[in-house]
Amino acid sequence: MRAIARLRAAWRNLLYRDRVDRDLDDELAAVFDTAVEERVHAGVDLAEARRLTNLELGRKDSIATEVRQRRAGAGLDAFLQDARYGARVLRSNPIFTLTAALSLAIGIGATTTIFTIANGLLLRAAPGAADPDSLVDIVRAEKGRFGLSLSPYADYLEMRQRVSTLDSVYAYQLDLESLSLRQGGGAERVFAGIVTPNYFTALGVSAAAGRVFGEGDATEALVVLSHGFWTRRFNADPAIVGRAVHLKGRPYVVAGVAPEQFRGMTVIAPDLWLPISANLDSAKLIIGGRLKPGVTRAQAAAEVSAVGRTLGRDRRFPRDDEWTVTFSSPIPAILRGVAAAFLSLLMILVSLVLLIACANVAGILLARATARRREIAVRVAIGAGRARLVRQLLTESTMLFGLGGVVGVGLARVMTSLLLTLLPAFPVPISVAVSLDWRVLAFAAVLSFIAALLSGLAPALHASRADVVTALKDESQGASDRLRLRHAFVIAQVAFSVVLVIAAGLLGRALGRVAAVDQGFDPRGVEVVSVDLAMAGYGRGPGQQFARDLVERVRRLPGVEAATLADRVPGGPMQTEAVRERGQAPPAAPPVPASWNVVEPDYFRTLRIPIIAGRDFTAADRESAQPVAIVDESTARRLWPGEDAVGKFLPGAEPRLVIGVARDVKSAGGGRPTAVLVFYAPLQQRYSSQLTILARTTGGEHLASAIRTLVASMDPNLPILTTQMLEQRQTGPVVLQLRTAALVSGGVGLVGLLLASIGVYGVTTYAVVQRTREIGVRMTLGAQHGDVVRMVLRQGMSLVATGAAIGVLLAAGMSQVLRRLLYGVPTLDPVTFGGALLLFAAVGFAACYIPARRATRISAVEALRYQ
Amino acid sequence: MAGERMALLRGTLDLLILKALAAGELHGLGVSRRVEQITRGTFTVPPGSLFPALHRLEEAGWLVSKWEASENNRRAKYYGLTKAGRKQLGEETAQWQRIALVIAQALEA
Repeated sequence: MRAIARLRAAWRNLLYRDRVDRDLDDELAAVFDTAVEERVHAGVDLAEARRLTNLELGRKDSIATEVRQRRAGAGLDAFLQDARYGARVLRSNPIFTLTAALSLAIGIGATTTIFTIANGLLLRAAPGAADPDSLVDIVRAEKGRFGLSLSPYADYLEMRQRVSTLDSVYAYQLDLESLSLRQGGGAERVFAGIVTPNYFTALGVSAAAGRVFGEGDATEALVVLSHGFWTRRFNADPAIVGRAVHLKGRPYVVAGVAPEQFRGMTVIAPDLWLPISANLDSAKLIIGGRLKPGVTRAQAAAEVSAVGRTLGRDRRFPRDDEWTVTFSSPIPAILRGVAAAFLSLLMILVSLVLLIACANVAGILLARATARRREIAVRVAIGAGRARLVRQLLTESTMLFGLGGVVGVGLARVMTSLLLTLLPAFPVPISVAVSLDWRVLAFAAVLSFIAALLSGLAPALHASRADVVTALKDESQGASDRLRLRHAFVIAQVAFSVVLVIAAGLLGRALGRVAAVDQGFDPRGVEVVSVDLAMAGYGRGPGQQFARDLVERVRRLPGVEAATLADRVPGGPMQTEAVRERGQAPPAAPPVPASWNVVEPDYFRTLRIPIIAGRDFTAADRESAQPVAIVDESTARRLWPGEDAVGKFLPGAEPRLVIGVARDVKSAGGGRPTAVLVFYAPLQQRYSSQLTILARTTGGEHLASAIRTLVASMDPNLPILTTQMLEQRQTGPVVLQLRTAALVSGGVGLVGLLLASIGVYGVTTYAVVQRTREIGVRMTLGAQHGDVVRMVLRQGMSLVATGAAIGVLLAAGMSQVLRRLLYGVPTLDPVTFGGALLLFAAVGFAACYIPARRATRISAVEALRYQ
Repeated sequence: MAGERMALLRGTLDLLILKALAAGELHGLGVSRRVEQITRGTFTVPPGSLFPALHRLEEAGWLVSKWEASENNRRAKYYGLTKAGRKQLGEETAQWQRIALVIAQALEA
């Protein structure tokens, strides 16, 4: 009751401020006059009466001030006053306001960008589902295995049946199925998400056209299209609903289309969805559910954990899994750790830039506080408390930071879109939805506020310490304190910038290393087109015939120097199977992993892999002839050390004759795992339906469309899976991470360097101004221009040197962290460290030299007069 | 002595003001004099404390003010108790008496 009354009074006081003040003045005036009159009546003369009254009652002004300070809404009033004053100050110094706000905006913008991405990927559920905050993932950790594991269908069924704290338990397969789709005209490859029939209803996703899966659809041959695919392939034609499309040669009826904003629960976005059924059972599911109203995640986790323990007990082979419940996010729980680590690294890098910007602004604020010490001293003299002053100065800097924050959020939007467009093409369709939701805005606001406190507090505290008398006398008081503070800020700036630049350098080197690894073949100018013959229904015999025809025709295309087929691209990840070395009866020796590569003749010539013994495969190495194989160097050394491998037989069941030895092929960014045996076999003797056409051109032309036309002319039902140049193919998660990190740190490193150099320039100029008198004296005593320059330079460069030294130490520590997180990062790379130091020496020198030169132009006489 | 009086007054100023106005409306100076009167000269309230308190009590809804002609036909701002103010006076008086009793007993023991 009282609080409401006070609020109402506060509102009134603020709104009708002038009227309330006037009323107060009138009241006090009346009181005084009454007291005076009473005295006059009692016979005292007027002047004496006034004097006595003033003595008795005190000064009207101070009473009025007391009333105003205790009034309801006084705090807010003071704040508004401060804000108005602060705005005026900022407006009257536009250059300062602009540069400070800009550097803050960059710092806050960069950090907010990383947070926006982290928020979109890790902190909330994918968009498109209803009430995303109540969605959870049921995850399991297998004993003995690191991290989380996917679950089989049987587990999903049991969880669904037994967990009561969750509504509508659903599941979906993490990996998408690559299938061929044929409808009307030609075939194309699509990515299908495999989901339980209650997937859409559990998520609250309703169809944009037709319907989504229902409970009874488990055995039906139905498909739900994604909105993007429907628009792309069928031109958003609603008539496709109810018609059949052919997937993997079998007809499926299109049940409906998903809404535009729903693209699946993870970043991997399928073109269409199929229900789990007998045909499409899955062992690698992510299980999810929705919390019942009123149930917390902790309660659900407890129940799931208990159910999970009994899961193991029901079976013949007991399992020891830990089950729990976690929130849902577009990066699924099993990958969250890796993604979080990487994003944290980026966040640290950009935070350094923010710190640099803050140090910059703090230094400038400190300098301006010096300029304003007169004004501050006067305010202290007329009674402003220190707390009030600090509050006012802080309000000023908070406004500045607020401005920087708002601009920063705008910058973040731009930077986020930019970063997303830089994403390379992934082998599967990716959809990343990031938006500036309340979490991001709250983050930016809190960040701006903390930055304002950090930056503004030290200058504000320092400035408010102004001693009235000496400030009014205009002595340079506290100068040494201020200078020391500013030096500290600049050293910090230089140190952080050094760290950023060195980080960028190290990442760049890592990228270069990864790219420059000689993989054992020449990837330049080779076109890669991949197909899967099984998608068009070819079996072994017809497939081999088709492959033979295909490669012959590709060889005859204009511009083709050499062409071949292989089951996979060289230098990629190996798929191994176990093989026993000859002469070892099991279980005497453990089987060794062997990687089989299925290739057509001319493989080695096309890729320029040297054959160091024996020969390549020829057309004579057919199905009916002697089974042959080619091994690589390491394999030859391992199986027949010291002997010639050609003419030997491979270990294993089938007696394959070794006819050649090829040079080792290494994988991108790594070596060749030493334990693995590498065999090559001809396509005509060991069939694979997944084929990659590798064609080297004489002039580096792009053959993709020519090959596409060729394949279509041979069989219109065979979809092309991917086309790429071999060089582009050599990118994986390693390179992606390195490239992103290098980009980010390079960008912020540049900004940091710029800000730090501005800081050095600023403090050196400031020092010159402070020491103007001293310089004048020195010049009078005979110092030359060169001496003055040297003096100024020495001071400035000592700051740079100190900062650089600290920065190098920090960078050494950071390089250890980088090395653990990312592949291929060198530590203590002398080129990078040395280069960075040289760069900073040069930039620092330039930043100091300009004020130093200006110092020489000080006329001695003027300097001596300067106060 | 004056300093001690100030310290004690802070907690009881509101109570005394409410009591002073219980008998009828007064302007600011009048309140101060009445307080002095009812405390038999022990407490004098300087205007620097009185007026902020008056305004505060008015904002809380226990006093109401209006401009009226004073004794010598001057305009002055008069304060009076509201119904809530009277209630508050009763409550605070009862509380004060309770406290005074407890302290007195404690000191005797």
